[in-house]
Amino acid sequence: MWMTPEFRKAQENMQPGVITADGFLGDETRPIIEIISADEERMAQLGIEFEEAAARMRRVIDEGRKGLGEPITVDGKWVVRVDEARGFLASPFEDGIFRKVNAVVSRKEDPERQLLVSELSLHLFEKYHFCQGKGSPFRLDPDRLRQVLDL
Amino acid sequence: MELATVLVAPVALSAISAALAVLISVTDKIVNNYGEVAIDINNGSRSLKVTGGTNMLVTLAESAIFVPSACGGRGSCGECKVKVNSDVGPHLPTEIPYLTNEQLEENIRLSCQVKLKSDVDIEIPEYLFKIQQYQGVVERIRDVTHDIKEVYFKLTDGEVDFKAGQYGQIEVPPYGKVKGPTQRAYSMSSVPGDSNHLEFLIRLVPGGIVTTYVHEHLQEGHKMKIIAPFGDFYVRDTDAQMICVAGGSGMAPFKSIFYDFVGNGMMDKRDIWYFFGARTKKDLFYLDELNELQEKYERFHFIPALSEPEESDKWEGATGLITEVLDGYLRDTIPTSIAKEGYLCGSPGMLDACMAVMRSHDMAEDKIYFDKFA
Repeated sequence: MWMTPEFRKAQENMQPGVITADGFLGDETRPIIEIISADEERMAQLGIEFEEAAARMRRVIDEGRKGLGEPITVDGKWVVRVDEARGFLASPFEDGIFRKVNAVVSRKEDPERQLLVSELSLHLFEKYHFCQGKGSPFRLDPDRLRQVLDL
Repeated sequence: MELATVLVAPVALSAISAALAVLISVTDKIVNNYGEVAIDINNGSRSLKVTGGTNMLVTLAESAIFVPSACGGRGSCGECKVKVNSDVGPHLPTEIPYLTNEQLEENIRLSCQVKLKSDVDIEIPEYLFKIQQYQGVVERIRDVTHDIKEVYFKLTDGEVDFKAGQYGQIEVPPYGKVKGPTQRAYSMSSVPGDSNHLEFLIRLVPGGIVTTYVHEHLQEGHKMKIIAPFGDFYVRDTDAQMICVAGGSGMAPFKSIFYDFVGNGMMDKRDIWYFFGARTKKDLFYLDELNELQEKYERFHFIPALSEPEESDKWEGATGLITEVLDGYLRDTIPTSIAKEGYLCGSPGMLDACMAVMRSHDMAEDKIYFDKFA
């Protein structure tokens, strides 16, 4: 796969301070296409489909919305807090705008096993298989997904 | 001979690059020099002469006319809408997602996306003329919960005139990897009578540019720009019972409203029911202050509710989601014979859920006032 102009522009938009404070790349300097390839490989090794993981996250987040901004226990095993802040975030691929909805999903028995998912990060995961760079607070790391979401 | 050959290519490349840079710079000065541009506001109500070439949001702000913008002109909030009666070109792809079909037809534009190239006629709400920019110095900053800070600013260059419930925009300077100043909107929690100060309750949003700055960098003595007041969330002057609902930093406008009532003697004039939702006791704050108000004022009723209290909380108050608690009170406790108004502050999901409960108890939708995204 190649870094198309669309991906090059997205990589620029993912730098810290352009769309969000921390950006989307964490500590990574690799082209995003390499990050995507590596994560696709890891997801395949773990036997997790992107669609399956995205659907699980959406369901947990939808249940978490019932907490109306406060944490709520979902299915007896996750504590989920869904927050919404004023305004929108643009996708770094410039293919839409997304409400600033953040969900903190943690295991009830082990709150350290936690995922931070936003409406935007879920879109990037689902559409581009972009899990974000290592070190990004919103990275949807394949191994972490398995640990937290029982995939 | 070989050295000269090696040097020719980079020197020639550098010369060509320099020539191109000069050409671009000169072209930019010629092509993008729009000279003086006239802005007519509200059919002659105000006229400005400005230098063209910059976007309308920034140009108006430089003339002390502050159009609301929660994102500070980054094209991501869709709040800086202005009606443009002149031809400024077609809507940009960056504007269209934020505009309804009716707004597109009326040539409503996002002022941050419209570059001023020639004279324009625009229409904006008259109240925008009252909005001003202030210099704030952090006089006090403290944690009220594990993720909410109370920030109290002293205004050093003027007094602010606002209605309790309205919001302001604060601007944080560049920091860390954030290259430019960034603005975000927050409800004021101070009272209008304290016109030399503004207070905000700011909840940490993971990854948020402004909230991260406030929670990790802001200290007493720091200076910030504040633009205020904005918004139409304020108390209507009626005798109706006020049914108020909030959670988290949605506390801010209500703190302002209740203490404003205390100051102007309104606390005894109408019934107020204030529902505040949290998960556990550690997410609650201002409990002592609000309980004190309840003890002092017979018509003020404070109902904090925990959705998942922990055993260690030893909680004896209301439990359940705030919508369930609200539903129960509207059914069993709050008098049905007196008119009601709803006042809500929180996320869209919380607002929608509360409005559904209120409608189910025959509260009129046009009597429910709200401020989304506290």
